[in-house]
Amino acid sequence: MAIIERPVTTQGVEIALPATPSRAQGGFKRPVATTGWKSWLFTVDHKKLGIMYGVMAMFFFILGGLEAVLIRLQLAAPNGKVLSASVYNQMFTMHATTMVFLFVMPMAAAFANYFIPLQIGARDVAFPRMNAFGFWCILGAGIFINLSWFFGGAADGGWFMYAPNSGPIFSPSHGVDFWALGLQIAGIASLTGAINLIVTVLNMRAPGMSLMKMPVFTWLQLVVQFLLLFAVPVITVALFLLSFQRNFGATFFDVSAGADPLLWQHLFWIFGHPEVYILILPSFGIISEVLPVFSKKPLFGYPFVVFSGAAIGFVGWGVWAHHMFASGLGPVSVAVFSISTMAIAIPTGVKIVNWTLTLWGGKLRFTAAMHFAIGLIVLFTIGGLSGVTHSVAPSDTQQTDTYYIVAHFHYVLFGGAVFGIFSGFYYWWPKMFGKTLNEKLGKANFWLMVIGMNMTFGPMHILGLQGQPRRMYQWTEARAGEGFFNLAFWNQIASIGSLILTLGIFLFIVNVIKTTRSKERAPLDPWDARTLEWMTSSPPKEHNFDVIPNVHHLDEFFHRKYEQDPVTHEYKQIATAEEILADQEAHADKHIHMPSPSYWPIVLAATLPIITIGVIYSIPVAIVGGIFLVLAMFGWALEPSTAPETDFDPPASEESTKELTPLV
Amino acid sequence: MSTKIRRIVAGVSGLAATSFLAGCAKDAPQDTWQPKGTNAKIIDDLQQPVFAIAGVIGVIVTCAVIYCIIKFRDRGQAMPEQTHGKPALEIGMTILPALILAGVGVFTFRTVFDLSKTSDTQMVVNVTGQQWWWEYDYPAQPEMGITAPIITSGQMIIPVGTKVLLRETSRDVIHSYWIPALNGKRDAVPGRVHTLRLDADKPGIYAGQCTEFCGLSHANMRMETVALSKEDFAAWVANQLTNAKSPAEKTLAKEGEGVFLNQCVRCHQVNGLKKADGTPAIAAPDENVWSGAAPNLTHLMSRNTFAGASFDLLSPKCRADVWGASSETVGKKYLAGVSEECLNQTDLRRWLRNAPAMKPMYADPAKLTSTNGKYRGMPNLGLTEDDIDKLVAYLSTLK
Repeated sequence: MAIIERPVTTQGVEIALPATPSRAQGGFKRPVATTGWKSWLFTVDHKKLGIMYGVMAMFFFILGGLEAVLIRLQLAAPNGKVLSASVYNQMFTMHATTMVFLFVMPMAAAFANYFIPLQIGARDVAFPRMNAFGFWCILGAGIFINLSWFFGGAADGGWFMYAPNSGPIFSPSHGVDFWALGLQIAGIASLTGAINLIVTVLNMRAPGMSLMKMPVFTWLQLVVQFLLLFAVPVITVALFLLSFQRNFGATFFDVSAGADPLLWQHLFWIFGHPEVYILILPSFGIISEVLPVFSKKPLFGYPFVVFSGAAIGFVGWGVWAHHMFASGLGPVSVAVFSISTMAIAIPTGVKIVNWTLTLWGGKLRFTAAMHFAIGLIVLFTIGGLSGVTHSVAPSDTQQTDTYYIVAHFHYVLFGGAVFGIFSGFYYWWPKMFGKTLNEKLGKANFWLMVIGMNMTFGPMHILGLQGQPRRMYQWTEARAGEGFFNLAFWNQIASIGSLILTLGIFLFIVNVIKTTRSKERAPLDPWDARTLEWMTSSPPKEHNFDVIPNVHHLDEFFHRKYEQDPVTHEYKQIATAEEILADQEAHADKHIHMPSPSYWPIVLAATLPIITIGVIYSIPVAIVGGIFLVLAMFGWALEPSTAPETDFDPPASEESTKELTPLV
Repeated sequence: MSTKIRRIVAGVSGLAATSFLAGCAKDAPQDTWQPKGTNAKIIDDLQQPVFAIAGVIGVIVTCAVIYCIIKFRDRGQAMPEQTHGKPALEIGMTILPALILAGVGVFTFRTVFDLSKTSDTQMVVNVTGQQWWWEYDYPAQPEMGITAPIITSGQMIIPVGTKVLLRETSRDVIHSYWIPALNGKRDAVPGRVHTLRLDADKPGIYAGQCTEFCGLSHANMRMETVALSKEDFAAWVANQLTNAKSPAEKTLAKEGEGVFLNQCVRCHQVNGLKKADGTPAIAAPDENVWSGAAPNLTHLMSRNTFAGASFDLLSPKCRADVWGASSETVGKKYLAGVSEECLNQTDLRRWLRNAPAMKPMYADPAKLTSTNGKYRGMPNLGLTEDDIDKLVAYLSTLK
């Protein structure tokens, strides 16, 4: 495997590189391109993969957003005629599936991939080819699931896909098959990614970086990876049961065969609730980086934020049945899960307190990133508190499956996860692309999104409390009540809000295009940041750091720039980012050993949709896909992690630093 | 400073509360904050303080953030102290919410068990969901005047002030029974029987909606619970226990009975209906419908909605009269049923003409391979306008 040894020299003695086989085993030469499309297709560089994850997630964000707009257009007036019942059901199923599995998760993976190695002072992840494989899997999954639109209709059972409605009798189109098998592929991406990042964080931190000196973003992402590692297998099992029921005549959820449909609900939510934290914790991590930087203070109560994150990771496993308070579990289960759900509000509340106290007494600079971060505190708090009202089980039996819960989780996931992601965009854009996103457009982007989001999801609290159920393709005036502020009014406001929200996101895209075209380079350290990812060039070199830093402090970069006067206790700058970088470049490591690109990740990932298409339409196709899968696995296994000299064209000489730039 | 904060908090919370309350619709039929029965009131008593506490905390956090934004913005002040936190404050801020939640938890615990009690039940109704309507079957309960089982659909009738226990199940997928004014929702799951307590303080029509996504026409699966005074309930029971009478010979309705016997009786039972040879006409929905059930139409005109309570049997004017009636008069008006002049001919005819066009259902014979040719919902029967006239005349006699 391509674990990059740290090119540390002990007393000036260089550690020898491991011997690699002199010929590639795959029968053909490895890819070596460093520019052009080939350099992206076969890359194993965590930064390139991070960017590709981001682009893919953004595409699906727009797709899922358009689906949401169609939903709101349908519901803008009573007895909406924009979509048919069938298409509406497909629309809300795919909106949720897209946003959860194809936007927020890959976007969190984008940030994790790009910034975890940089934040811990590593040169790549532990298993670079597996990293590439994960990306190609999730991309394949996204395309595969959405293919169903063109093959008889998408899944229409809701993203929770409750049995027995998801079975072959009640959902006869292939939509659910595409959905279930596509999510299996997405699950492979999540699992390989989780293992990769856990190993990376635990083994590849720069010397001196103990766990409690690790940036909070990396910490919370680590918690997320553990959640994925344990949650994804549960949904994998559930999806296998579903696929076997649909494609091979099994009867796991068939009541007439003695099954209990609640089995699916338990399996789904044992995955589904940790999933909520999988979606939100990365954004918590992002704003835990952004708030300190723009407050010029360390994160208030770092250990509390870390441990409450870990606590959420544990308690998150004990609350799944709060999605099932109306399912008829019986009073004992309901009471217990009610209490455990209240308990998880405590570590979440701790975070809100810590963020607010990080602002307290600070020196606040209101950049676009800071806008989004502060927006998250307030909006997530609203979502968290409506969550507390849900934890009161009897109250939940009134509000569940109404628009109140739609309001709740959109405040948590849009106000929380999405705002965190946008904060991350504005904060890290200069690091990733060397250019700063336009701040003015960024703030306009923020305000439109805040107004749009509150107009869209705020009225849903009222709609739900006044009895409008969710997942209905039409609502009727007969149940809308009297007066000016009746449910019709609030439905209209929500629909208008969704258009404002769309405009806000459109501004972001405009901003990206504008910034990409602009020639203006970002300063090396535009925000006066605190963590290691800012201690290298922007965008970072392929090997991230010329010298692996020795870490002495939490917020190492800050401490290299500033020093406290022992007498006056005032901080004074002792170095600039440019000076620190120049110093690193002067002492750059000589033999930097980077993993080589490979064909195998994309080849192996491409076999999976062939198998799943075969499962749906024709088993021989699945067998052919399976044969290619096995061949690809062998090809991968026999390929050395670094390219031998003979693979280069012309062959690399002994002295060249081939690991860095094989072909210029 | 602290008075300033307090003023901000008071101002913002007052504004938030009034704008929220003023922003609500009047008399939304499914309003969860207007309990009309014991169980819904128990829930409301529990949730109102929780909403209030949550609201106050939300306002405090928002104000704290706003205060920070105003107070600590960068005005060129010196680099702040690089403090990493104050453990005592942190622990305090952990314990405080824990205490609040513990208090909420105790009351929640008690309420959960109160709401699950079944020992004080006075009357039982078996409630069965299927795509996309509810069936109610009242087992014989002589003490309630129900001397023989009653089967009805769409609208469930209960006597006021009586603790009714619903025993819910489903014939196909999961549905959820929810009458917000009377209690929270409870899923009807195939293969399981779940109980739900229900009672109403005053006579009235209480609206509800299936709240577990149940496929194509989930949005069109509605229901009502109608609470009647004890006397009115007795009258309703007495009527339900009677059989349908055959219309007089040589009337349009009599011809309609013939159409019914030809077409509708394959799935829909009308108690007392006899075939031409004098034998009882027994519906066999299990041969045609996947769920194996179709609404019993013996007393169709005693209910004022049809097709999963999605459409009104009453014309808009008559509907407004019944639904808007006071609790004193609603019983009499409801028991009057649907008269000739009040019948919503438009919707009933549209339904008979082509039901799937009004309510999306799996009723296209070409697309029923997954259910071995059985329908989920009512198909288009291809009735002629003549047949429809006759049928409407017949159905109007099913009081």
